[in-house]
Amino acid sequence: MEQATGQGSGATTSEPEGESSSLRHAFEEEIQAARDDVLRLGAMVEAQIQRAGEAMMQRDVELADQVRWADAEVNALQQQINLTITSVIARQGPMARDVRELLAFYHAAAELERMGDYATNIAKLAQQLAAEPELPIFRQIPRMEELCREQLRAAMRALVDVSEEEARALCRRDDELDGLYNSVYEDAIALMQASPQRAQQATHMLFAAHHLERLGDRVTNIGEDVVFLATGRVEDLNP
Amino acid sequence: MSADEAVFELRELSCYYGSFRAVRDISLSVPHNRITALIGPSGCGKSTLLRSLNRMNDLVDSARTEGQVLYHGVDLYAEDIDPVEVRRRIGMVFQKPNPFPKSIYDNVAFGPRVAGYSGDMDELVERSLRRAALWDEVTDSLRRPGTALSGGQQQRLCIARAIAVEPDVILMDEPCSSLDPIATLRIEELMHELKENYTIVIVTHNMQQAARASDITAFLTVDQDRAGYLVEMAPTQQLFTMPHNRLTEDYITGRFG
Repeated sequence: MEQATGQGSGATTSEPEGESSSLRHAFEEEIQAARDDVLRLGAMVEAQIQRAGEAMMQRDVELADQVRWADAEVNALQQQINLTITSVIARQGPMARDVRELLAFYHAAAELERMGDYATNIAKLAQQLAAEPELPIFRQIPRMEELCREQLRAAMRALVDVSEEEARALCRRDDELDGLYNSVYEDAIALMQASPQRAQQATHMLFAAHHLERLGDRVTNIGEDVVFLATGRVEDLNP
Repeated sequence: MSADEAVFELRELSCYYGSFRAVRDISLSVPHNRITALIGPSGCGKSTLLRSLNRMNDLVDSARTEGQVLYHGVDLYAEDIDPVEVRRRIGMVFQKPNPFPKSIYDNVAFGPRVAGYSGDMDELVERSLRRAALWDEVTDSLRRPGTALSGGQQQRLCIARAIAVEPDVILMDEPCSSLDPIATLRIEELMHELKENYTIVIVTHNMQQAARASDITAFLTVDQDRAGYLVEMAPTQQLFTMPHNRLTEDYITGRFG
């Protein structure tokens, strides 16, 4: 009995085309369409995070409004992905790598939708902060926002490449976000103690940092999806 | 006997029809009171392998085997083994329901009578029909011909007939391929109930059926020499979510010729 031939991460992305039936080909196109939609959703959410962060730091109420409106598009695309994948599973009875891939996409889309909600929450906080008299002082926030987007891009790459290594690496990098969040927490406490009149501002910034920290955790969940897709194992990579 | 113990232990089994080798060098074990599914493309030798487990291939003149089939540690093909006794202990249900042209009652009672059963035949017939989940449907028509039943009922009658001689193992060769989805589901549910008392080995072309109904799945395929061989055998849940072998992956995901 042979064992474990040719089954590694990223080993079976492309198949010999000529041997597949046209039905199998149509099935692969459906999986590809789901993959493309998840990538599109990832790009939308990345833009939402970037604009929410910018709205916060620039005190741009208008931009924050745009982010809040655009969340409906994020939700709509996630729902469409859910329907597509449900339909493929019902009609095609996917097995092995196919079923793992579809489930990974389904779950990744749910995580992305949730990340979109965090971006919306940050946009709401940006609007409240814009009403405060002082400029925001937490310089960690732009770095956290940037890091979240880098991590999100890495997760999307890992998902498409089925790269277990990249998935594990991005989960390790989440520590940096956690560190930045802790530093915001300490600064917020210090600000509240030093200037009680700025407690509301400090609290808003702390919430924004918390949303970004949670957003990073959602990215690591996608990393776990990639490990599941590549290996069939369910692991907690952000304990 | 615990589930970890093997009912069958195959050691480098090869089956020939004349000079044609249908399966080659198959080594595997079939666990006690579990449902083991054999899957693979047409011509991969899965039916031949199934039939070798109760010496059904003996009935084909040109058939012969090499290697060993150990049943509870005993070589099934040893000279002193009586194939009729083998087939009593290891029953078979076929693709097409094949009740005898007799009454429902006589279909079930046939085997025990041949075997000289001296107990309460009515009780045995009822027990067998109950175990095959057919009793409630036929209790008032035991004297009607078995062939008058629906396809799904006929197949359950064949299972009752197999059970009546109190076997240890039930072999099933695509038992649902001529049944509709409802009758298929009944047979699958029945298999699930039967595995409490019997070891079941099933050949199926329906991968969803193997995935739904079996505990262990063996995937066979054919080589250039057209002899079937075992590629991978694993717990069903693992084989259908994370097969080890690329050939298995390609087959179960539909990436074949």
